[in-house]
Amino acid sequence: MLEIQNLHKNYGTRSVLCGLDLSIKSGEIYGLLGPNGSGKTTTINLICNLLKADAGSITINQKRSGESDKSILGIVPQENLLYKSLTCQENLSFYADIYGLIGRRKNQQIKQALEWVNLLDRANHRVENLSGGLQRRLNIAISLIHRPKLLILDEPTTGLDIESRYEVWLLLQKLNQQGMTILLTTHLLDEAERLCNRIGIIKSGRIIAQGSLEELRMLVPAKEIVFIKVKEEAEAIELIKELGWTYRYYRRELAILLPQALELREILNYFDGLSVDSVSRQFVSLENIYLEVINQSNSFHK
Amino acid sequence: MAVAKRILIELFYRRRNLLFWAIFPLTLLWLNTFIVAERGKLPITEAMSYIAPASLVGVALFFSCLGGSISTIVAEREHKTIKRLFLSPLSGGSYFAGIFLAYLTIALGQSALVYLVTIAFGAKFAGSLWLGLVILVLSVIAYVGVGFILGTQLAKRTEDVNTIIATFGVPLLIAGGSFIPVRFFPQVLLNLAKFNPIYHMNEALIGVWFRGYETIQEIDFHFRFLLIFALSVSIAGWLSYRKMLSLEKRL
Repeated sequence: MLEIQNLHKNYGTRSVLCGLDLSIKSGEIYGLLGPNGSGKTTTINLICNLLKADAGSITINQKRSGESDKSILGIVPQENLLYKSLTCQENLSFYADIYGLIGRRKNQQIKQALEWVNLLDRANHRVENLSGGLQRRLNIAISLIHRPKLLILDEPTTGLDIESRYEVWLLLQKLNQQGMTILLTTHLLDEAERLCNRIGIIKSGRIIAQGSLEELRMLVPAKEIVFIKVKEEAEAIELIKELGWTYRYYRRELAILLPQALELREILNYFDGLSVDSVSRQFVSLENIYLEVINQSNSFHK
Repeated sequence: MAVAKRILIELFYRRRNLLFWAIFPLTLLWLNTFIVAERGKLPITEAMSYIAPASLVGVALFFSCLGGSISTIVAEREHKTIKRLFLSPLSGGSYFAGIFLAYLTIALGQSALVYLVTIAFGAKFAGSLWLGLVILVLSVIAYVGVGFILGTQLAKRTEDVNTIIATFGVPLLIAGGSFIPVRFFPQVLLNLAKFNPIYHMNEALIGVWFRGYETIQEIDFHFRFLLIFALSVSIAGWLSYRKMLSLEKRL
C-alpha cells in the first residue's frame, strides 16, 4: 500500500530525514513511534505531498506520491481543523462536496461517518458547542467521509481523556477490520502496543527498528524483566554482572533483563543477604523495547 | 460551489453581519443623495441616480467583497482549516472561484437592494443593465483578487483585517470619489484618481446608471482599466496564494 525508500529531507542545513525506509502492507495498522523532532510529522507531510522530498521515493498504491489520487488518502491532523460556526453535518457535507460526493451516496457517507464516531445524535450541533473530545471525533470523521484506502493519523489521541481515547482505539480497530490500512504516529506506547500490527521506531530521521511486537521483542536480550529495589545497589549490580545478566535503568529503576523466566523466589535467592525492598517482574513491553532501541541507537551514535 | 456554499452558510449564521451589509449601502445612499441634491441643486431622484453607483461599487462592495474575502482567508489561516483544504482534491483555482462566487452573491444582493430602493424612489437606471452587471462582476473580481493578495501576504490574524482596510482602503475610497464626487476634487487629486481602480469602477457605473450609456465604447477608458486591473490582481492574487501555500503547507 505504501512504500517509502531512502527518503531525505532537509530544512535549511538541518537534516530531518536521512534515508528513511518504510513499507506498509494493505490492511495493516502501522505505528510510527519516535521522540519529538524525530521526523514523524515530516514523514506524514511528505506522504501527503505537502512537502517535497530532497531525495528518495514514496509510492502509494503503486503510484508515486503526487501522482496518486488524493481520495486514496485520509489524513487526520494533530489539531482539530474544523469550521467552528458550522454544524457537524455541515462540516462533513462541505468535505463530501469537495470529494465529489453527491445525492444519496453523499448522505449515506455523511451518516456512516457520523455513526463511526458516535456523533449521529449531534449531527446538527454547532462545532463550537462541542467538547474537545467530540471535536476530535469529528476531525476523524471528516477524514473518513470519502472512505480512503489509507488513513493517516498524526497523534490522534493526544489530549484526549481515557474514555475518548478508548473510543478512538475501538473506531480504528473497526475501520481496520473493514479493510482500511492505517498509519498512525504516536507518543503513547500503549496505544501502539494495543493497536498496531507492525511498529517502526524512528529516530533522527531514520527507522532504527521495525517489525511486529514479537519481532521487536527479539531486540531486547531478555525473556522477562525484573524490577528490583535494593538498598545496596552497587553490590546488586556486581551480583547481576557475576550472574551474566544484563541490567538497565528504566524510569530510574534498576531492571534486570533475564534471559529465561524465573520464579520470584529464585530471583530473591540470588540476592540473599541484600536488603531487597521490592521485586516485580513483567514481560518485555513496547516501552522496554523502545527504550532499548533508542539507547542502542544513542550508544551507536556516541 | 462547495466553498461558496460554506462561506454563505457561515454568513447566514452571522445574520447580524448580513443585516449590517444591507443597512450600510442604503445609509450611504441616503446621506450622499441629500448632500449632492442640496449642494448640486439637483432633484432627489437625479442625485440618487448619480450617487447610487459609487455607493454600491465604490463603498458597499469594497467592504463586503474586499473586507469579506480578506476575512475569509485570514479565518482559514488562523483556524488552520486551510491546511485541511491542501490535503483535499480542491484546487487553488476552485478555492478562488468559490470565494469569488460567495462574494458575488453578496454583491448581487446588495446591488438588488440599492437598485430597488432607487427605483422605488423614482430614480432611473438609465443605461444598459447588462453592462452594469458586467461592471459589477469585474469590480467583484478586482476586490476578491486584491483580497487574496492582502489576505495571503499581509494579514495573519483577524485583528489585522481592520488595519489593512483602514490603511489601504479608506484613502483609495476617498481618492476614488466614493464619498465625495470627483467633480469637487482639485486637479492634482483628479489626475491621481486616474490611477485608482475605484475611480474607474465608479465612473464606469455612473456612466451606465446615471448617464445612460449602453455600450462599452462609451466607457472605454474606464472599462479597459477595470478589465486589466481585475485580470492583473486575479493573477497576482493567485500567485500570492501559491506563495502562501508553500509557507503554510505543513501539518
